[in-house]
Amino acid sequence: MICSWNRATLTALLLTLFATQAQAASVSGSASFQGQAPAAEPIKMEADPSCKALHADGIAADDVIVNANGTLKNVFVYVKEGLSGKYEAPKTPVTLDQKGCMYTPKVLGVMAGQPIEIINSDSTLHNVHALPKNSPQFNLGMPLQGMKIKKTLAKPEVMVKVKCDVHPWMASYIGVLDHPFYAVTGEDGSFEIKDLPAGTYVIEAWHEKYGTQTQSITIDDSGKSDVAFQFGV
Amino acid sequence: MNPAQRLTHLFAVALTLGTLMLIAAGGLVTSTESGLSVPDWPLSYGQFFPPMVGGVRFEHSHRMIAGAIGVLTLVLAALVHRSEQRRWIRALSLAACVLVLVQAVLGGLTVIHLLPLAISVTHACVAQSFLCVIASIALTTSNEWRVSSPTPVTGASALGRLELITLFFVFAQLVAGALLRHRPNSRPDAHIILGALIVLHALLVWIKTVRVPHWTKLRVHGAMLVTLVLGQVALGIASLVLTRSASRIEGLPSTAEVLTTTAHQTLGAAILMTMVLLYLRSRRFYREAPAA
Ligand SMILES: [Cu+2]
Repeated sequence: MICSWNRATLTALLLTLFATQAQAASVSGSASFQGQAPAAEPIKMEADPSCKALHADGIAADDVIVNANGTLKNVFVYVKEGLSGKYEAPKTPVTLDQKGCMYTPKVLGVMAGQPIEIINSDSTLHNVHALPKNSPQFNLGMPLQGMKIKKTLAKPEVMVKVKCDVHPWMASYIGVLDHPFYAVTGEDGSFEIKDLPAGTYVIEAWHEKYGTQTQSITIDDSGKSDVAFQFGV
Repeated sequence: MNPAQRLTHLFAVALTLGTLMLIAAGGLVTSTESGLSVPDWPLSYGQFFPPMVGGVRFEHSHRMIAGAIGVLTLVLAALVHRSEQRRWIRALSLAACVLVLVQAVLGGLTVIHLLPLAISVTHACVAQSFLCVIASIALTTSNEWRVSSPTPVTGASALGRLELITLFFVFAQLVAGALLRHRPNSRPDAHIILGALIVLHALLVWIKTVRVPHWTKLRVHGAMLVTLVLGQVALGIASLVLTRSASRIEGLPSTAEVLTTTAHQTLGAAILMTMVLLYLRSRRFYREAPAA
């Protein structure tokens, strides 16, 4: 009896150690942009004076943002193939804010079933119209400032478009996955996907205008892998 | 024609024009892609009058004009029942009430179910059918209709058949056009073929009305049909070019595109109405002469 208890403890201990080891790998890199950055079109917000008032100096379209260091912002990078485990969706919501009649963030990742808290920070009204193909679509009115709604997207899908039909320039994209291994490039175009188990993976990078690219990588237990994506013409 | 009958007729004419405006307002909703800018129905963001900003300007205006047309349709039915003895005109006015109600529900359903193709297309077809019913009431309550009776003319049946075939193509074109509008990147083949068939048949109708000496009452009507159809072809080509340009596929509709596609859709409604009225007037003025 004691003996078997000890063995079980030992096994559990070893498993824990092994698991910690196995989750230590990470993939990092950046999405660079080649060629001439397209001129950002100004958004005409005349259709809603309260939106226009929030951008006294005007505002440019956010579909292509080339960073100062020649990298591309808002690229969704995720593990497309190679994972075998099951991952529980977190209960903590991710936030999608409607602010200044634009979506913040423009591109985000979420796990299938994880709550998405949608906020209206504006004094004007918005409708939040999500257009997934794998999960039920929804269209919700958010007429009041400070209003919050929680929604989930049930099935994995890259990407789910979210738009506002009141302000047709508003569009956001949500990468819905059944695992937590994703990242979005920011102001410096870099990304990091942490705590991956060792293995061979297909990593995909998605951009609203420039489409997708994939790369295969193999990482060992504690390894780090560097992946460089190149977008543009 | 007594004053009550005149009032009914004028009211029906005004409602016909109002309905054309409503159809244009509905077209603007589709062309500006603002059908879902108000997610709830029958209220708009839980209110009667939401702030008129962005897409809401189009969607809510459409709802308000539709509400007004709905009430006016009930008024028309009341006027018809007060001034009309002809039972079929009374029936038509009741049919208009049913159609306007069905149309409102379809409008609500298409918003709530996020614009399913079948409901959006049916909404478009019921809109123009309603227009034809109101226009028919306007026609049959007119003085011209009251004082006319069918004159026997050789070829009247043939003309009627040709008009019915044309009418069939025009209605099929309404379905094809609505399908194209609600599935923006689908192939326009059927719409173009039907367009060619309608041009051909409109010309045939017009030639007949010009050639047969007795059909003077239909000549202007036939010429109007041809003019509208040719104008519609021009608007149709412009719509295709604008909606399928490279800059459009990803981007937002330009003002030029919105105006062109809305005009194309509204003119389509006017053509269907013109065709229905032409058929009804032909049947009213002429009947087949007995074989000698
Ligand atoms: Cu909005």
